[in-house]
Amino acid sequence: MVPRIRQNSKWGFVCGRISVLEARLVSMDFYATLLAQEHLDDLIPHLQDTFLREYLGPGSPWEDFSALTDRCFFELAHSLREDCPDPTPVDLFLLNGDYMNLKNALVGFTSFPFRTTWLSSEKLAAIAGGDNNLLPEIVQEAGVALLRESMDATALDAALDGAYLRHLLRLAREFGNPTIEECVRERVLSRAVGVVWRAVRLQAGLRNHQQYFLPLEDFTPVVTDLMASADVRAWTGILSGPVGDLFEKALEFPEDEQVSQFELMCANRLTCSARDGVYQTAGPERVFSFLVALYAEMQNVKLVVCGRLNRVDLDLLRRRLRVCYG
Amino acid sequence: MFGGLEMVELGRGLAYGGAGIAFGLAGCGSAWGIAIASHQAGGVLREKPDLFGRMLIFIGLPGTQGFYGFIMAFLLMAQTGLIRGEQINVAPGTGLALFFVGLGFGLAQLVSAIKQGEASAAAIALVARRPEAMGRAILFPAFVETYAVVALLAAILLLNFLTKPAILEYVTQLAK
Repeated sequence: MVPRIRQNSKWGFVCGRISVLEARLVSMDFYATLLAQEHLDDLIPHLQDTFLREYLGPGSPWEDFSALTDRCFFELAHSLREDCPDPTPVDLFLLNGDYMNLKNALVGFTSFPFRTTWLSSEKLAAIAGGDNNLLPEIVQEAGVALLRESMDATALDAALDGAYLRHLLRLAREFGNPTIEECVRERVLSRAVGVVWRAVRLQAGLRNHQQYFLPLEDFTPVVTDLMASADVRAWTGILSGPVGDLFEKALEFPEDEQVSQFELMCANRLTCSARDGVYQTAGPERVFSFLVALYAEMQNVKLVVCGRLNRVDLDLLRRRLRVCYG
Repeated sequence: MFGGLEMVELGRGLAYGGAGIAFGLAGCGSAWGIAIASHQAGGVLREKPDLFGRMLIFIGLPGTQGFYGFIMAFLLMAQTGLIRGEQINVAPGTGLALFFVGLGFGLAQLVSAIKQGEASAAAIALVARRPEAMGRAILFPAFVETYAVVALLAAILLLNFLTKPAILEYVTQLAK
């Protein structure tokens, strides 16, 4: 997967940190142990072995657990970002939080749950106050200002999702690292397929997506073809490559699990693709691969703890766990 | 075009140039290698300050080439009489050979120091994850060191052969 591993000593410091942090990533056995605990309170001692240790003080409310894992991920990512000679590999992960903040601002909320990177709090507050001129160019291109005035929440979501994916593609392309770019491109395509698939399943109509979600650079024709075909089974002729293979595999599952299984398989493929970065002593691939692993770990911990809180079937939780390489 | 003395001066100049290059390249390599290992070690110490002692060993390893360079330069200067006080006559051919001994030695030290820095960085990454693997991890950069030592030995042998008293005596006769 990694075309050529090159020593890049500028990345040495952050990769040195990652060498230590990687040792704290948990293995799949850890989740089996978590799922085997009878009482919720028994989870806490086990969670002390994760990155959440610093965040789990006495009396930490379980209700905020999802926000707690997000905070843990974002704070660690921000801390690594400060040590990176180029923040792009980290920004690819933090951008998600920026768009969540922006979504909040566009609907008028003045609280922004994620630490800002791309858009400052002041800018977000001004956008929340109605100043559309401060919207970034990539968001303005999607016609978000008009959608905001029309109060069309579904269309606004589609426009922001599209802008987010375009932004990811642009960042990866400008960074110019072949490994990272390939991973991001696959991620964007799989995410786009997931979004369209969910919209088709909800029978909500794809008008908003056709109008506001696109373009997605060179994926535009593929996604346009997907939107034009209401029969999901016909998509096998449109999607090719690894995403197409995963899509075909997902179709073998019961209909109500297909989309989630597809998304899970795509996330697992990303983790496996990015895993090669571990063999690099110093370089951006190492940072990217660690953050992929950390993100997967946080999602898994969130899934298990929130699943246990909501009494979700343990087998279902086991099936939904993402692969990890701790 | 040149008299005997000028030829001897040329020979000496080439030999001293070789000494300068030997030390210069080896010193640059060591500085570079140490910087590579230090970047990595700095990051590790940010998370685990208690690993300082172990990191210091890995950082110091690429520094040996600089010392080898100093030894080589010193020997070159001593064998050609610059340090001993009485300068020895060196033929241009011998001077050129000594120059290339210094250059070859310097290049070997430069490359081995940089690569040892990279090997040290990889070993640091291993020790950061598994501190108990220190003994095995140190072997990787140590293997790179072997070739720096081999280059030093080869250069010393060549220096000794090229500055044999019989050869130098012959040149002295020619200069007269």
